[in-house]
Amino acid sequence: MSLAIETEKLTKAYGRKARGIEDVDLAVEEGEVFGFLGPNGAGKTTTVRTLLGFLRPTGGRGQVFGLDIRKDSVEIRARVGNLPGEFTLEDKMTGEGLLKFFARLRGVRDLRYAHEISERLGAELHRPMRRLSRGNKQKIGLVQAMFHRPPLLMLDEPTGGLDPLVQEEFLDIIEEVRDEGRTVFFSSHNLAEVERVCDRVGIIRGGRLAAVETTETLIDKSFRHVVLTFAEDVDPKPFAALSGVRDLRGGGKRISFTLYDNLDEMVKLAAGHRLVNMEYERPSLEEVFLTYYEREDGEVR
Amino acid sequence: MSVVLNRGEKGRRRTARPGWTLFALVSHTVRMQLRGVIIWGAALGLYSAAMVASFTAIEGSADQLNQLMEAYPKGMLEAFGVTDLGDPANYLHSQVFGLAPLALSFFPILALANALAGAEERGTIDVLLGNPLPRWQLVAGTFVAVAVSLLGICAIVGLLTWGTAVLTGVELSLREVAEAVLNLWPICIMFGALALLCSAFFHRRSLAIAIPAFLLFGMYLIDTIGRASEDLEDWRPLSVFYYYGSAIENGMDWAHFGSITLVALALLLLATLVFRRRDIYT
Repeated sequence: MSLAIETEKLTKAYGRKARGIEDVDLAVEEGEVFGFLGPNGAGKTTTVRTLLGFLRPTGGRGQVFGLDIRKDSVEIRARVGNLPGEFTLEDKMTGEGLLKFFARLRGVRDLRYAHEISERLGAELHRPMRRLSRGNKQKIGLVQAMFHRPPLLMLDEPTGGLDPLVQEEFLDIIEEVRDEGRTVFFSSHNLAEVERVCDRVGIIRGGRLAAVETTETLIDKSFRHVVLTFAEDVDPKPFAALSGVRDLRGGGKRISFTLYDNLDEMVKLAAGHRLVNMEYERPSLEEVFLTYYEREDGEVR
Repeated sequence: MSVVLNRGEKGRRRTARPGWTLFALVSHTVRMQLRGVIIWGAALGLYSAAMVASFTAIEGSADQLNQLMEAYPKGMLEAFGVTDLGDPANYLHSQVFGLAPLALSFFPILALANALAGAEERGTIDVLLGNPLPRWQLVAGTFVAVAVSLLGICAIVGLLTWGTAVLTGVELSLREVAEAVLNLWPICIMFGALALLCSAFFHRRSLAIAIPAFLLFGMYLIDTIGRASEDLEDWRPLSVFYYYGSAIENGMDWAHFGSITLVALALLLLATLVFRRRDIYT
């Protein structure tokens, strides 16, 4: 399998005050959906902007479809559909005007696919940007990134501001893109979204690539927030004593805790009482990161 | 609809030819500026037309006015380019075309400060440069678009000025008016090119406006005071207004026209070099 993106010790330093990225080694295979994850300020956007030639790397090297990010930026951008994290357009432009302009810049004459995905996402192409809500602007951002069927899509928080139905439609489109053999590189904070479409994920923290995992592995490493409600008062101590239970709170009829593992024993223990309700929640991706990194650092757990 | 790409399609992506992307950018930018061109052209053109119309009111009493002017210090009259108020060309130079660069330069200054630093501040530059558009084309294309729009403003000002002269019977030829408005172009675009360079260099729109604006007024003052004061006369060649002259009275000085245009092109080249090498922040 050849690589869509390959970096070797890619570094971008902004100076003393701001952190960039450092020694990032990344290999994204053609045809995969790759989730690029990390807390805010971790270096996701810097990585993408360096790959696209907006920022000059201060060290290392990078290639997109074998093209050098320093020398071949224009050729790379011809093969990439990009949605920036903060998608903004000139206020007086309409989505239709934008697509026609970008189509001319890219030598695209047929806008049927653009109109097809606009319709699927419910993008309003004929209203000026200043009159559009954040979600509607985001739809236009997605359309402009995808309309020319690029071999590589780079999407920074693509579903931000979209309602759940549109998010679902977008994820369907991403799956179709993968089926066509194209590559998707996207950052997100939405774990469910990452779980559904990403084949692999790269986790960046403090400007360094902490790990590249398959999505299954990442989910397995995560924990769950548990809230148990009983019909009568329950002694919380046996729950607190279970390995894998942390941050136990409450008492009496309702106890809550964070469960890292040992689900089976926890369920059996709860089943010894008359259970009225059990909430079992996925954590946010940010929380998964924290846990993951703490494990990596050997601090706790 | 599913289309599976093969390796060849990924490796040899069809793109617009470089000349075509530049043309697409220029035509798009000109279209986006159209409303501004009409507003600027109409505002300056109507002011100029009003001055032409007002000339008919003073034409009959020009001799008295000139006698009155003789009471003023000669240096002051020279400073403002007043020599003969009975001559419509001199009247229009002193009332319109001598001052017009101070206002009209702000069209290219604002537009070109917006092109790079402004687009970075608004966050729109990533979307535009997400396309296969070389950086030099963004700089040069925007400059060309603003230069074309500026010509459009000059044309509107010229037409309103000449049209009013014809309607009111003021003796002004189309050639005199055309040269007067065309003479505005290099000096204004030069300050625009300086704004573009500052925009490429500083990342900040406010600086890209403030620096050329400061130089614009500074150079105007140097030239104006230099005309009035012999002590400061030697400083006048440092001001671009020294080379601007009065095309409506003396005809176009093509050497100065070309020189100022060359300075603008040199600033454009510098802006391109600076912007090619630097990071883009949003």
